[in-house]
This record gives sequence, structure tokens and C-alpha cells, in this order.
Amino acid sequence: MMIQTLPQGSASPKLSREVLDRLYQPLKDLQAGGDLSVVSQILDILTPLQDAVGDELLLNSPAAWDLLIRMADTYDSDMPFLDFFWTWRMSLASFYSMLLHPLPEARVYHAVSTGYAGLLAARASLETHRPILLTEHGIYTTERRIEIAMADWLYEAPSEDIKIEGSGQTLRDIWVKTFITYSRACYQACSKIITLYEGNQQLQIEEGADPEKAEVIPNGVDYAYYVNIASERDKYPPTIAFIGRVVPIKDVKTFIRACGMVLPHVSNLRVLVLGPTDEDEDYFQECQNLVSFLNMDDHLEFTGKVQLGAYLGQVHVIALTSISEAQPLVILEAGAAGVPSVATNVGACKEMILGRTNEDPPLGAGGAITPLANPGATAAELTKLLVDDAWREQCGRAIKERVRRYYQKTDLDRTYRALYDHYRHAPDTPPFPVSTA
Amino acid sequence: MAGIGFVLRKLSQQDNLLGVVHGFAHASLASVGPWLLTIVSLSSIIIFTANAVPTPNLDNFRLVVIYNFAFSLVFSGPIVILLTRYLSDRIYEKEVKEAPGMLLGGLSIAYVTQLPLVLFFYFYYVEFGDGTRIAAVLNFFLITSLWIVGIFLSALKGYKFVTGSFAIGLLCSSLGAIWLAPIFDDAGMLAGFNFGLAIILFSLISRIFAEYPYAIVNPFGFLRFVHTYRILVVGGLVANFSIWIDKWIMWFAPAAETFGNRMIAYPDYDSAMFLAYLFTVPAMALFMFSVETSFFEKQFKFIQDIHHHVSLTRIRANHQAILSDLGQSARNLVVLQVSITITVILIVPYLFDALEINFTQLGMFRLGLLGAMFQIFFQFMFIVLSYFDLRKPVLFLHLLFLVTNAGFTLISIALGFPYYGYGYFLASLVTFMVTFVVTLRYLDQLPYQVFVRNNASVQ
Repeated sequence: MMIQTLPQGSASPKLSREVLDRLYQPLKDLQAGGDLSVVSQILDILTPLQDAVGDELLLNSPAAWDLLIRMADTYDSDMPFLDFFWTWRMSLASFYSMLLHPLPEARVYHAVSTGYAGLLAARASLETHRPILLTEHGIYTTERRIEIAMADWLYEAPSEDIKIEGSGQTLRDIWVKTFITYSRACYQACSKIITLYEGNQQLQIEEGADPEKAEVIPNGVDYAYYVNIASERDKYPPTIAFIGRVVPIKDVKTFIRACGMVLPHVSNLRVLVLGPTDEDEDYFQECQNLVSFLNMDDHLEFTGKVQLGAYLGQVHVIALTSISEAQPLVILEAGAAGVPSVATNVGACKEMILGRTNEDPPLGAGGAITPLANPGATAAELTKLLVDDAWREQCGRAIKERVRRYYQKTDLDRTYRALYDHYRHAPDTPPFPVSTA
Repeated sequence: MAGIGFVLRKLSQQDNLLGVVHGFAHASLASVGPWLLTIVSLSSIIIFTANAVPTPNLDNFRLVVIYNFAFSLVFSGPIVILLTRYLSDRIYEKEVKEAPGMLLGGLSIAYVTQLPLVLFFYFYYVEFGDGTRIAAVLNFFLITSLWIVGIFLSALKGYKFVTGSFAIGLLCSSLGAIWLAPIFDDAGMLAGFNFGLAIILFSLISRIFAEYPYAIVNPFGFLRFVHTYRILVVGGLVANFSIWIDKWIMWFAPAAETFGNRMIAYPDYDSAMFLAYLFTVPAMALFMFSVETSFFEKQFKFIQDIHHHVSLTRIRANHQAILSDLGQSARNLVVLQVSITITVILIVPYLFDALEINFTQLGMFRLGLLGAMFQIFFQFMFIVLSYFDLRKPVLFLHLLFLVTNAGFTLISIALGFPYYGYGYFLASLVTFMVTFVVTLRYLDQLPYQVFVRNNASVQ
């Protein structure tokens, strides 16, 4: 299936006009942030037409042009028309292609994102009444929102004066709201809405996912491998490791500053930055300068890309200062080896280190969570873990146990196999009620 | 998924909507002046040599000139239209370094493709003296060259220079032909005529090299676009073919003549039609003026504004401006041409008396006047459609005229002498009516045509 590729189709002008007249309202709703009922209405209009529907009828016919104009007229009168034309055409071509291509038959449909994949899944649900699963790693609509906000390909008219009147709807709104429609439709059609951690789940619920269907299935690590890494920590001075690429999003500078603040308390401190340094040479240079500035040249080593297993046995504590993460597996890999972590409060870090809200029995802290870009807070937690051996060992045990119980890769496979088995044999889902209000 | 933004950016930056093809309009309109001058020159040659040269030799001259103009126009049509388009694209890109090379490439392709047929015709088929044969072949290629050179000059818009060159050159033609006629008969007339044409050709070529002072590069580069512009190339052939097809068919009418030199023609029909076409010159001048002044400006603004991301409201206003401008121009043109045509139809007997024209041509001439009127009306609409790069409908309309002109003319021959001329007249009328409907429809749907139907990014 190719996105935006439609069959040619052949329809009389009269039929085109009829069909497109009926499509007007649902398409407006689609661009204004609709839900599954919009997809259902449009599908109900297009499906009976079979071979007649395609590029010609939906996009290229004079009737399609009239529809485009009719829709353009509902937006601000100063919206750049060339860009509206392409937005309309590209977004609808993609949309229609998801609705028109032949759908493979299956007992369960599993989408790995909302957006177009989710739209296709929603259509599968409407057509086959079979269960739909969704696993979202990042929240698609949020990512799309960021991409569209940053898109330089969307022309923005230079505003000559401050506008007060008008709907204020921009092309960006059309794109964003269309994607919101897709994600809502997908959430509504789904039997299970899965993501990696609770923070994302919260976002899904805000975007319209039914909390009843929402489930967290975290990624897992190879527990058996990491748990067997022998500890050589006694042979090494107190060691902090940063595991990750040396790039701005990981905020390595905050990490270096934090280590600088730990140094007065732990004079024989050893710091390792385990990860490639060649992705952003300028940033790496700045980090090296910072290390020299803080007189840490004798303490801190950039190792470049390494095999993590070879180092974990030497490390006392992991630090992670990223400004954005989903579910960083290093916390789990180190955790399985009994190494606690200090991480910023991003993505799934908090629930991996401190446990999920419904953890039973509570296993206790496996390290600490700190605010973003706060070297002082990171330093304080790192110092505490390095100087207080009992606390460090307690955290190490807690995180190891948490990984054993909840974050094993073998569990993940088993969970999904069980989900597939369950829904494969599940009865058809009830037909979607179309609200005609 | 990340690909969508990329594709959209690519599409919104493409320039496919902008088909600046006003070269076509110039090419067809800038030729009015040279055309009139040529007619004056030829008439003067024939009038002033009538007593000095025997009639068969006079016929030779007349026939060679008619044949050469007609066939060189038709044969050169495809390459002329291809070069016109290629050159206007290069001008739009402000990258005209290839122009001198194109000129030589275009000329050599025209020569190589046409030479065998022309040699065969003048050296084997036609019964001429050797001097006449050589002069006739030279004449053919001088005229072919002028069609091709004309492209570059209409792009330069050097109307005054072109018209001046033709005036001087054709004066030399006339004087040369009249001077050489008593000495060398038809060969002399052609040689004299050729002398003037050569003056025109070389003065125009020198102007082109002066305007485009670049080395000869990539002389056959334009051939890459034969496929891209195949509709135009075919259109170029069909357009010129359709203009001549009724004359050629009439050459086989029972009343047509086969001359001693084995050439055929129907002088009564041919001259009636040429004369009729002359009466469209004022309308052509007016149309040229309208296109150059207001229409081109409004069309350019319409297209340019779209690329400057204007709102739908502005696009609608620009569309309206084009429609009202065209409406006004059309009204003026129709009033002018209808008045001329009716007046001439009414005074034909006096006109023929005064010009001592054979009255058997009277019926054909009146039909020719009406046919020419409708023909220039639809040709004006072709030009308007070409401005918006609507190649397919234009090709279809050219084909329609070709088929109707051929079909109706054949029928008119079958029906007999009283019906001669009806073929051309009815073909023009039918083509005009269809073109009118098509043009109105296209103009009404102009934004749709420009954005969807005629947008290469969409197809």
C-alpha cells in the first residue's frame, strides 16, 4: 500500500457531484478534529461506489475542485490558497488511500502508531469488526504537533497587521486536527491501547483514549545477561557512568557540572561517559572544554562507543540528565546488574526507578529522580549514593528486583503472545454506532 | 511518515503552474507585417514583369513561391513550435546561452529533413530549366530559414527591426526580380527574389548573434524535449497543415489547372482565399495590441500571484479581471471584423471591377471572407488557450479544423463549382463554434484548469 496513491477510478460528473456533496460535512469534521464517526461516515459513502471512486472523482474532477473551494471559503479569507490547495490535496490523498486500498484479512489488527497506521486500523475495525490493538511508543499526535509547528514547508504569510477578526484557523491547524481525528478514531476503534509507560498513557487518555482500554507494557531487557555481570566495584574508586550519545538532547553538560559538584565530597571520583562522541563534534568539544574548566581532566573519561557489559561491573551509579526520553533501557540494564540510577524526570524514568503507582508490594527506590537541567540536584543524589554504601546497596537491590519482576524481555514477548491469543479467538466487536446528530 | 513534509515542500516549490508561452502569440502575430510586405512585393513583381516574361515562366515563378511558402510552413511547423517552446522556457529561466546553438541546430535539422523531398521535387518531378531548379530550391530553404529565425526575433520583440529588414529586403527582392526577369525569365525572377530574402535572413541572423553573444553550445539540446512537448510538436504540424489542406484539396478540383511544368494549382481559388485573408489584418493588429498591453499583464499577474501565495479572494479577482478584459477585447474585435467583412461582401463587385479580378472568383471570395473571419476568431482563442498552456484542447481543436476543412472541402468538390469555398467556410464556422464553447468553458474554470488539469505536479 502506497500512501497518497489512489486508483484512477471512473465516475460520471453527476455521480462525482453527488458523492462530493455528501462528503463535504464529514471532510469538514475531519479537518476540524473529528473521531471514528467521521471515518465511518466517509467509508459508508465511498465503499458502495467500488471501482468508480479514485483519483479522478475525489481529487481531480471539477466537482472535487468545487468542494475544495467550498471548504477553502470556510477558512480565513487571507489564507494562502496555493498552500491550502496542496494541504487539502495531500492530506486527503493520504486519507483516501488508507480507506480505498484492499485490506488484508486478519483475525487481529495491530497498529504501531496512530496517524495513518491507526487510521487504517480504524478502517479495519469498521469493515471487519475484528479487534484492533495499538502499541504507541511515542505519542504520534504530539510528535506530529511538534513537527508541524516546526515545519518550514508550510508557508506563513507575513502578517501585515494584527488581526482581530477571522476564525484564526491556519494550515497548521488543519494538519494537526486531521491527525487528531486519526488518533481519536484509532483509540475509539481499539480493543487495547498500549504504551510503554504511565506518562504516555496519560497523554493518550488526554487525546481521547478510553482509560479502560489503556495498558502499559514496558519494553524489557535481557535480565539473565545483566544479572550475571560480576561486580568488580571494590577494585575501583567510586564511579559514576553516563551511558548515552554525547549530544545536546542528553544534556551531557549538566551531567559534567553535576560531577564537578560531587568532586569536593568524593575526592577519588571516577567518571565515565560511555557512548559515541562523533555525532555532534561541536557539542563534544564544548563538553571537553567544560571538563577542563572544572579541573576534572584526571577524573572524567570519554570512552567512545563501548560494550556496556564490560563496564557495568565497575560502575557504582548511573546518571542520566536527558531533557527527553521515552523508556531508556540503560536504567534497566544497569538495574539488572544492581546499579542504581539518578535520572531526570522524563519519559518512563520515574516509574522505572521509583516504581509504578500501583506497584505491589512497593519495592522501594532504585535510585533517584531529579528535575531537568539541575546539576545541583543531580549532584546531591549522586553524592548520597556514592558516600552512603548502605543506601546504594538498598537501591541496587530494589532496582534489580523491579527489573526481574516487570522488565524482562521474555515477559514482553509472552505478554504480546497472550494478547494475540486472546483477541484472535475473541468474538467480533459490535458494529460502530454512527452518530448522525 | 516524515516523508510527507518533504514531498509537500517539493511540490509547493515547483514551477509547473507557470507556463509562460507568450512566444506563441508573438510568433503568430509578429509575422503580420512581414506577411503584408511579402504580398506587396510579390504583387509588384508579377505586375511589373507581366509584359517582359512569357506566361508559363510567370506561372513557374508564382507556383514556386506558393509551393515553397506552403510546404516550408507545414514541414517546419513541428520544429518551429518545439524551438519556440524551448526558447521561451529558457528565457523564463533567464538561461539563454544555448540560443545561438539552438538556431544552428534548428536550421540544420530543418535542412537535413526537408532537403531530399525538395531536391526530388524540383530536380526530378517538375519540368524546369536548371537555373530555375536551383533558384527554386534556394528559395525554399531561404523561406524555411526565415520561419526558424523568426522564433528568436519574436522572442526579442524586435518588431521594428524585423519589419524594417523585411521592407528593405523585399524592396531589393522586387527590384532584383524586375531587373533580372527580362534577362533570365523565371530563374531571374526567383534569383532576384532570393537576393532580397537572403538580405533579410542575414540581417536577422546577425541581430540574433548580437543579442545572444554566446558560443555555440548544445545545438541539439532542444531535441530532448520532443517527448515532453510531443503534443505541441504534433500540434505544430496539424495547425499548419489545416490552414493549407483546403487549398491543396482544391488543386485537385476539376476546375484546377495542371501546368506545363507538371505543378498543379487552382489560381482562382488560391487568390480568392489569400485576398479574403488580407481583410483580417486590421483585426490581427488590434488583437496583437490587446494581448500585448492588457491581457498578457493580467494573465501574468494571475499566475504570478498564485505563486506569491495570495488568497482565494485575490485569485478570484484576478480571474474576473482576465474575463472582463477578454470580453472587452472580444467585443471590439468582433465589431471591427464583422463590419469589415460585411462591407467587403457588399462591395465585392465594385472591388473586383476596380482590381480587374475574374468574376468567377466572386462566390469563393465571399465565402473566403466569412471563413477567414471565423478562422481568425478561433485562432485568437487558440492563442488565449496557449497562454495558459492548455496544449491538449488546442491540439484537439487544430485536429478538428484539419478534419472539417479537409472533409467539407472534399464534399464541396463533389457538389460542384457553386459550392467551392463552402468547405473552408463551414470548417471555419464549425471550428469557431466549438472553440468558442471550449474557450468559454476553460476560461470559466480557469483556476481549476491551472491548478488541477494543467498542473504537471498533480498528474
